[in-house]
Amino acid sequence: MDIILNLLPHLVNGLALGLLFALIALGFMLIVGVMELINLAHGSLFALGAYFAMSIIDPNLTYFGTFGEWYSGLSLTLRYVVALALAPALVAVVGMGLEICMRRTYGKKAEYGLLLTYGAALVIEETIRIVWGSAEQVMPIPDAVSGAFMAGGMIYSNYRFFAAGFGLLMIFVVWLFLEKTPYGATIKAGAHDSEMVRALGVNLTRLRLLVFGLGASLSAVAGIILTPIWGLRPHVGVDVVIPAFLIIVVGGIGSFWGAVIAGVMVGLVVAFSGAYVSEWSMMSMYLLLIAVITFRTRGLFGKKSSLEL
Amino acid sequence: MKSSFAVSTPVITKPMLVLFAVLGTFPLWGTSVGLYNYLGVEIVVWIIYALGFNMLLGYTGLPSFGHGAYFGVGAYAYSLSYLNVFESVWAGILFGSIAGGVAAGLVACFLSHRRGIYFALMTIAFGQVFWFVSIKWHTLTGGEDGLLNVYRGTVSVVGADISLKSNETLFYFAFAILVAVTLLLWRIVHSPYGKALQAIRMSEMRAGFVGYNVWLMKWSVFTLSGIVAGLAGSIFAIAQESAYPDVMSLHASGFIVMMTLIGGGFVSFWGPVIGAIVFFVARDFLGSLTETWLLWYGLMFMGVMLFKPEGIAGAWQDFMKRRATPKPSKEPVAGE
Repeated sequence: MDIILNLLPHLVNGLALGLLFALIALGFMLIVGVMELINLAHGSLFALGAYFAMSIIDPNLTYFGTFGEWYSGLSLTLRYVVALALAPALVAVVGMGLEICMRRTYGKKAEYGLLLTYGAALVIEETIRIVWGSAEQVMPIPDAVSGAFMAGGMIYSNYRFFAAGFGLLMIFVVWLFLEKTPYGATIKAGAHDSEMVRALGVNLTRLRLLVFGLGASLSAVAGIILTPIWGLRPHVGVDVVIPAFLIIVVGGIGSFWGAVIAGVMVGLVVAFSGAYVSEWSMMSMYLLLIAVITFRTRGLFGKKSSLEL
Repeated sequence: MKSSFAVSTPVITKPMLVLFAVLGTFPLWGTSVGLYNYLGVEIVVWIIYALGFNMLLGYTGLPSFGHGAYFGVGAYAYSLSYLNVFESVWAGILFGSIAGGVAAGLVACFLSHRRGIYFALMTIAFGQVFWFVSIKWHTLTGGEDGLLNVYRGTVSVVGADISLKSNETLFYFAFAILVAVTLLLWRIVHSPYGKALQAIRMSEMRAGFVGYNVWLMKWSVFTLSGIVAGLAGSIFAIAQESAYPDVMSLHASGFIVMMTLIGGGFVSFWGPVIGAIVFFVARDFLGSLTETWLLWYGLMFMGVMLFKPEGIAGAWQDFMKRRATPKPSKEPVAGE
């Protein structure tokens, strides 16, 4: 009984962390599942989203006169909500620009697309450095979700639970979109047999543009939600893209629930190893990946994919 | 791709002599065009590293995004051996190369039956594991600071003791190793083994059907490139007088991929050489103009990937072909 009580806080932390990891992987999963394209710029778009949001929440509006004064007078919660809506839209535009560049690599080896996004990641990161500087920054959060509470002798931060709940919500929304709407059906069909879908009169070029925009905006949402927990620095992208990557591979490319379950697994593994061998906790997820892939080539729920060739 | 119908390939070719002549005399002309000897050492180290890496990427078509690990293992092994075992440069280099090879060989056991993107993902995961261990295992690696005070010693070459203290002598020492590595890799690439590697790049399945042991080929080429990376890492440790985790990070591993591709590793043996030179000259040249030279380098890389994925060597080959045939013929272009 004691053991269970001791493990419980880690279980709760791990679940919350896992939902956040799943949230990070969501946009990545959409792009890799539909377009069979590894988007290494995912982490940089994540960081870009967070920086945009920070600038929207706490802008430097001296040039905007009365509008600036009116906007600065709004409550923090309201500005936070505005940022949560506006920043992903801006990042979606950036993502769409990247997709238009990417078109030249379609039909070539998968590595070309991957390398192109690697270059894009470098460019976005350096641009962030130029615009916002290299120093670590803090994003303000509304009072409603800050603070902490006690339960069973452990202190939990409110924001973590807000973030985990938000992750759950986003997972649900994306699932609804993919499974219960005609758009989702078209997207999945496009992933399954693009030639057939095109023959049916669907504009696949536009569909891909939209999917990439959507994936980019999801990574921006993840960035905004996670920044208060992880901090904001220009190279946060690398810290993010690797877990995202790992979760997709563990879950299996092209599987929605695979990504969610793998996210939670990674969260639990990191939380438990963090409790007992804290120095090495971030490495445990690589060991998890190696263990899973050694026994299941395509991850837990993966299907055959053209990326293997 | 390469001169595929030649019965036997010469051991030494014209481009090789040009490279050796230009690079080998670097200390004589480098300073007068505003470069410095240490840059030459760095370029030579990374050329060795990139040549080995291109065996994997360019010839076998296996993208490794965690190759910095074996470079770093080489550097650590050199430093550990030099500090704790024998105070000998040769022993250190031998030890570094073997360590790089052993690390890569172990990893290759997990990788060799993987293909495409799964292969790439696993290389990243293993690369991160090595990077992590190098940061966290303080007692062995010295943590984030790394191993320091690995002072440059003297090396005995055919009876003469040569001190590596000055960058100039170190350059000649590294250059001699580069010559040996180049000759060796050139020979390997043009051996039946090298042809089989290229067959794997073109179609792994068909190479298997023809009767090659694809698993063993992939394992051995990964190990070979690990040995070369370890060798390069050892020289890097001599040059830096230390070994530290930075060279094992994802960024550093990405740079070697970028170098190899910008130069044109897919179409030419010399692609990685061009790429490494371009990278370091760009770093120094752009770096002196702007602090964010990586932005411009990244844009350049994106441009190459978009418009000329075959890199600088590919552009050069096209140029020579166009000069040789004034009228564009309608012959079908060979794949890749």
